[in-house]
Amino acid sequence: MKNTFKLGVTALVLTIAVACKKEKIEPTTPTTGTDVVTLKIEHTWQDSLEFALNTDLVNPLTGDSLNFTTFKYYISNIRLKKNDGTWWTQPNSYFLLDLANGTTPSVQLTGVPYGEYTDVEYVLGVDSTRNVSGAQDGALSPSLGMFWSWNSGYIMLKAEGLSPDASMGGSFAYHLGGFSGSNNVVTTKSHTFVGNSLSVTGNGNCQIHLSAAPQTLWQTAGSVSMNSMIHMPGSGAKTMADDFYGSFEFEHIHE
Amino acid sequence: MISTDHLNLSTSMNKLKTISKLLVVLAASSLVLSCRKAIVEPYKKWGFNSPDYFPAPVYNFENNKQDFKKFTLGRALFYDPLLSSDGTVSCASCHANSHAFAGHNTALSPGVNNLVGTRNSPSIVNLAWSPSFMWDGGINHIEVMPIAPLTNPVEMNESLANIILKLKASERYKKLFREAYGTEEVTDQRILKSLAQFMMMIVSNNSKYDQMKRGEVSFTATEQQGYSLFQQKCSQCHTEPLFTDYSFRNNGLDLTFSDQGRYLITQQSNDLGKFKVPTLRNVLMTYPYMHDGRFYTINQVLEHYNTGVKHTSTLDPLLDNGIPLTASEKTQIIAFLRTLNDDNILTDYWLSEPKE
Repeated sequence: MKNTFKLGVTALVLTIAVACKKEKIEPTTPTTGTDVVTLKIEHTWQDSLEFALNTDLVNPLTGDSLNFTTFKYYISNIRLKKNDGTWWTQPNSYFLLDLANGTTPSVQLTGVPYGEYTDVEYVLGVDSTRNVSGAQDGALSPSLGMFWSWNSGYIMLKAEGLSPDASMGGSFAYHLGGFSGSNNVVTTKSHTFVGNSLSVTGNGNCQIHLSAAPQTLWQTAGSVSMNSMIHMPGSGAKTMADDFYGSFEFEHIHE
Repeated sequence: MISTDHLNLSTSMNKLKTISKLLVVLAASSLVLSCRKAIVEPYKKWGFNSPDYFPAPVYNFENNKQDFKKFTLGRALFYDPLLSSDGTVSCASCHANSHAFAGHNTALSPGVNNLVGTRNSPSIVNLAWSPSFMWDGGINHIEVMPIAPLTNPVEMNESLANIILKLKASERYKKLFREAYGTEEVTDQRILKSLAQFMMMIVSNNSKYDQMKRGEVSFTATEQQGYSLFQQKCSQCHTEPLFTDYSFRNNGLDLTFSDQGRYLITQQSNDLGKFKVPTLRNVLMTYPYMHDGRFYTINQVLEHYNTGVKHTSTLDPLLDNGIPLTASEKTQIIAFLRTLNDDNILTDYWLSEPKE
């Protein structure tokens, strides 16, 4: 009896193993399925140099000497547009990009259905709903230090560092956020792949490359000697966030 | 003779046996009854209770459904000084059930290292109906409210990340988290939602005023006169039945604002010196008064409205002429305010400090 049972189980396992193998090995081009698409954001300094933390940099816009110790921000609500005009929307799409882990952070879009994609859309910041709906988890956990305790809402971008030019004792700290009224910094960006389309076919190599330029934080705000600290929503936060978010550009796609 | 005696004796013995059996049964059943009283009865009472004359709660229970095990975890957390940096301050330190969940009748409440902030610790009853939190309304949801006192350097001075580490290391909390959420995993979301489960249950709805509203008791003549005066002179801001309209107003305390109040949140100049209208439930127990605890007695408060209102550009228009009150009117109003005392929440089993 036992032996028969064992045999049965072995046969079943074998069948499953064969079935699984079969699916992987056959080189047919499947028409349905999903794949991972990687969104990469390269951060550049002076348009050509790579941005880096804990490195002395000079802002070409203001002449300020800057050494960043922290640079992190939220990207959320990522969508891809198919060539038939429909959208694939990533569920629960919230990511905190921390440049301490590398200045070309990437986001994995899992479960993207096979197809031809022509556009990417995303939100810089955290949508207002998640700012007013109580305790969140994952990338939105308040324990990550990106939530204002006394004036509820996400710090959507945190840039801190040292600067001999700063008005505040040699350091700067910009905590930018705000989700309502004229203080709303949350920005939806979209880029078309300029005539190309991203073929998601299951090869696992699909990438979308974007770029952003941290020095643009000061594009309108001017030198750190004018104002080296922001820690609440308001016009100062809005100006700096708008300028930085405006620097996001589409670079290219890979397959 | 002997035999009769013997018979009598055996009859009496039998009677005694029956009586003692009965006594045992009686004792056992009374034991059962008393045990039932101690354990089962409070359990029966557990649950969120909104009287029909209260508005619908603001808190969305759909996203954090009432759950006894989550509540139990929240109750343990609320009373645990482990949540502070040096293990000396719990939520209950400044929101004591013995004081209607306000501070211990001090203007400012000490945090870690006896540090103090700038504002009076308010009573936190009936937060399920509150659309905003703190004197300046800067916090928009009860679940994220505890982050402020937990992390404030002059209150509990701890980081959420470190609280998570401390709770993970505790056998007591491993059990409580597992019972509440199925796994021992400690996350800030679990901590905050459990604290909300506990705070939602701090409901004050059984004062004499409530009993009067339900037709169970009547006011005395003085209380009734005080109630009428209250409705004429106070209830525009301290709206029944929660005794606040949750608006932000400048009630004329100062000519210049050392604490800018609501302005700190909105940066709008017309919010300078405005603070949230506090509930008056349990008001006679929760002295001292105002956002900074400057008035120690209710008489000082009434006298402020009578003669002390200071005029600035953001003064509430309702207070342009203050609130004129005679001595007897004050007495009557205080008699009415006494009907807002709710002794039940001071002694409520489920709101008290749990035994480990």
